Amino acid sequence: MLQVQNLTRRFGENTAVDDVSFTVPSGKMTGFVGANGAGKTTTMRMIMGVLTAHAGSVLVDGRPVTADDRATFGYMPEERGLYPKQPILDQLVYLGQLHRMSQTDARSRAQDLLERFQLGDRGKDKLESLSLGNQQRVQIAASLLHRPSVLVLDEPFSGLDPIAVDSMVDLLREHTAQGVPVLFSSHQLDLVDRLCDNLVVLQKGRLVAAGTGDELRATAPRRHRLTVSPDAGWVREETAVKVIDVAGQDAVVELEHDDDAQRLLAAAMARGSVQEFSRIRPSLSEIYRGVSQ
Amino acid sequence: MSTETRHQQKQQLQQEPPSSSPSGRNGQPAWLIVTLREVMVKAKDRGFAISTIVTLVLIVAGVVFNAYMSSRGEDFTVAITSEAGQSVVALADEEGRADDGNTTFSAIVAESEEAALEEVRAEEADAALIRGDDGSWTLTGKNEVSRGLNTGIGASLEAYMLETNAAAAGTSPEELLAGSELEESLLEGSAENQAVADVAGFAFSFLFYMASIIFGMAIANSVVEEKQNRVVEILATAIPVRQLLYGKVLGNTVLAMVQLALYGGAALLALNLTGTADLVGSIIPASGWFLVFFLFGFLILASIWAVLGSLASRPEDLSSNSTPVMVLIFAALGAGLFASGQLLVVASYMPVVSSVAMPIRMLNSEVALWEPILSLGIALAAAFALLYLGEKIYRRAIMQSGGALSLRKAMKLEQ
Repeated sequence: MLQVQNLTRRFGENTAVDDVSFTVPSGKMTGFVGANGAGKTTTMRMIMGVLTAHAGSVLVDGRPVTADDRATFGYMPEERGLYPKQPILDQLVYLGQLHRMSQTDARSRAQDLLERFQLGDRGKDKLESLSLGNQQRVQIAASLLHRPSVLVLDEPFSGLDPIAVDSMVDLLREHTAQGVPVLFSSHQLDLVDRLCDNLVVLQKGRLVAAGTGDELRATAPRRHRLTVSPDAGWVREETAVKVIDVAGQDAVVELEHDDDAQRLLAAAMARGSVQEFSRIRPSLSEIYRGVSQ
Repeated sequence: MSTETRHQQKQQLQQEPPSSSPSGRNGQPAWLIVTLREVMVKAKDRGFAISTIVTLVLIVAGVVFNAYMSSRGEDFTVAITSEAGQSVVALADEEGRADDGNTTFSAIVAESEEAALEEVRAEEADAALIRGDDGSWTLTGKNEVSRGLNTGIGASLEAYMLETNAAAAGTSPEELLAGSELEESLLEGSAENQAVADVAGFAFSFLFYMASIIFGMAIANSVVEEKQNRVVEILATAIPVRQLLYGKVLGNTVLAMVQLALYGGAALLALNLTGTADLVGSIIPASGWFLVFFLFGFLILASIWAVLGSLASRPEDLSSNSTPVMVLIFAALGAGLFASGQLLVVASYMPVVSSVAMPIRMLNSEVALWEPILSLGIALAAAFALLYLGEKIYRRAIMQSGGALSLRKAMKLEQ
């Protein structure tokens, strides 16, 4: 489990990350979202120790993170970086060795990962001779090479084609299945929806929401969809009902209490027939849009 | 997450622990891995291999050419018209063979002066040696009389005439020349030794200069490469940045030393094989010291180059911010080529410059043992100080993307 407590970082007058706390549970994928400049990359760099925090701490399994811990983390920086003029396999082996793998282990694991990304026969090629998408795959391999204990990935899906996204997702799932906490930032909300158990939302350096999907949904407004005949226009006159949208027979309403739902349903049935009355389960991306407005 | 699932996950983790536990599985220190990579990348670099081989070939060719030039003899043919002429040529031949064993003189006997000159015109003979009616001798070439020919014939003619005239006067050349011998002795090493020392001094200066620039640039470029491509961000999470710096400095120092040893070894081997090694003995002790001084001086420069690399943001920035270190390198080269007397003594204690200046002093004169040791001590202290300072700047500057940094800006940076 990775915990971030009260992390703060200033650049001159500007506070890039302001008192941010959240938890990345073991075996779960945590999506890290926020607009550009919200402070995601700065937070991740502080987690990795590349940037010093002005306040706050990073904990692993409840204790302060050490350099040795960080050496077991897998990290994919926002600005992609490997050696453009070096053969792919050689540089992966080098990175593996720096992460304290033996040379043979690093070599077989690197070959393995390259094969999973259909790059098995290109190990001797220089990185710069690969397409950008393939370079991205090598970058992913670099972060997963040493069987990391924690994964911190800054925009890992950007620049990947759908097939590569799928193999990346499979790989990440393998890691979470082994209990590895995964924190990844993304602007692709559909992916965040599909993959994440948890969501952490930053806005202008501050945390605006954090928690599991259920926790976040619980705090989200209770919305219901109502489809009635002949017409749904009457909901506007109902008390304790906030109308979000009405169009012909359909209405989307927001209720303050669960009790109101029964009252509304009774009222609808009294006026005609009810085709649908359901609670709207917001997607994580909707929650994100909600909190970052 | 429930305690139960957390417990399960813990168990799974225990079944397959991450390979990279803090204690490490491969047991190699990080700086060593970096060092080995620096060496391997360079060794596999075709440009580096080619330039090393070309330099080796040039060194060996230079030695062989030199040996060939100095041992090359000349064969002269002289047309003569008289017995006296024949004797002079025979005497010259005897002397030529005795001197370096390679210069020979042979005579073509011509019937007349005209015939002798005709031999020269036809290039059958290099020159014609003719005695005029008044007893004076003329050596006639086609369009030149080479120096070797002139000297050889001139000396033998003098000896021949001395003998002839002495006999006519009823005495001997020895009697005539009695008391005229001039003994020669040298207070310091011979001119030949001095020449060898000069060549060795030039070689030291130039080798240090070349290595400082070639391998120094290599360090700076490899630092910029990692900074520019942001690999350093990944590296920094795996190992302390300090170890990265040490590995780079060490790797390139090893490369420079190996290359130096290769060049030196090739030169010595070629000298031995061509039989011109008899003078080399005098430069061996200074050469040994040079290796040690080279190492220390290079360590200092390597730290500076690494810092320059970390301050740059692109390889292009290096050309503008490398001026201070280039000045230092030129100072070492200049001291090696031109300094003498007091200036050379002072230079032999200045770190980096001393790498060239002290071995050259040792080539040229007696230097007490404590002097190079003190100078090495100063260089070592400077190397440590610069590596320490360099590490501070490197650690700060290496993570900064954006434009090139000045030294002052870098010192103010927060990590």
